[in-house]
Amino acid sequence: MEELKIVSAISNSEFVNKHRLLVFVVMSIVISMILVAVSMAMYNSSGAAQLDLSRPGYKSVRSQAITSDGSVQTYSAVGTISQSSITEFKSLLVKQVDKVKTVDAFGGDPLSPDSLGIGTGTTAL
Amino acid sequence: MKFLSKLIISCLAIAVVLTGAVFLKVSAQDQPITSQQIDLIRGNCVSTKNTLNQLHASDALLRVNRGQIYESIETKLMNGFNGRLSNNNFNNSNMTSITNNYESTLNNFRSHYIVYEEQLASAISIDCSKQPAAFYEAISSARTKRSQVHADVVKLNQYIDQYQAAVDQFEKDYQTAANGMKQ
Repeated sequence: MEELKIVSAISNSEFVNKHRLLVFVVMSIVISMILVAVSMAMYNSSGAAQLDLSRPGYKSVRSQAITSDGSVQTYSAVGTISQSSITEFKSLLVKQVDKVKTVDAFGGDPLSPDSLGIGTGTTAL
Repeated sequence: MKFLSKLIISCLAIAVVLTGAVFLKVSAQDQPITSQQIDLIRGNCVSTKNTLNQLHASDALLRVNRGQIYESIETKLMNGFNGRLSNNNFNNSNMTSITNNYESTLNNFRSHYIVYEEQLASAISIDCSKQPAAFYEAISSARTKRSQVHADVVKLNQYIDQYQAAVDQFEKDYQTAANGMKQ
């Protein structure tokens, strides 16, 4: 029994020695597949996939995305409090709030059966 | 032995009650699909898919743009103002508390959007001509999840309103204190 184990171990190491390049290539492919699977899982679970407008299907809206928020001025935490600094802050805040409140985001009911044309009150095309 | 049989019976009773509760919940939430709707889904399959694809893209754009604005309001404005008040030894507890609530709602908005987007994508991937019932259920679920995202947006807007009111109140108190100092 012991002899059989030793013989099989020797034959395995001989196989690896003889096909080093093949083993190297196969191992590289396996490792890269594992790394790709891990990175794809992270990409999907982190929410990056939902923000990635370079994905297929988003071509029509890609150009409308805000590419930098440099227009938003940062209000510094350093400085004194005075009437002018409060007024400055309020005007900065109002600018952003106006952007947010122009449209009722995710409002309406576009997924209702009637909106999609599959409600009981609609007819087949 | 008697103890074992009692245990099994009580486990079975609990399982029956829980199953009943789950079924009741499901039947209350979901409206069953009618045969007329199955025909409609099959007939309008292509146009429905197109509508869903457009909604998928427009909601993604909305998520990206809104997310940036909401985030910049917190990181660039609220945190800055709270920090300045703190550095000048003014009481900012009210504004800090609103900012914390705003932050946690913003995190909910992010996570709820992920759940919604995944559900909508899975609905789009279903072949509505072959599986109309599954398609309908997937859309119903996406609709519920989208309403959660909308609820987060409403909450965020409410916190912004509260923050603005708190800033207005602070301004009034500041003016009162400044006038008192002058006199």
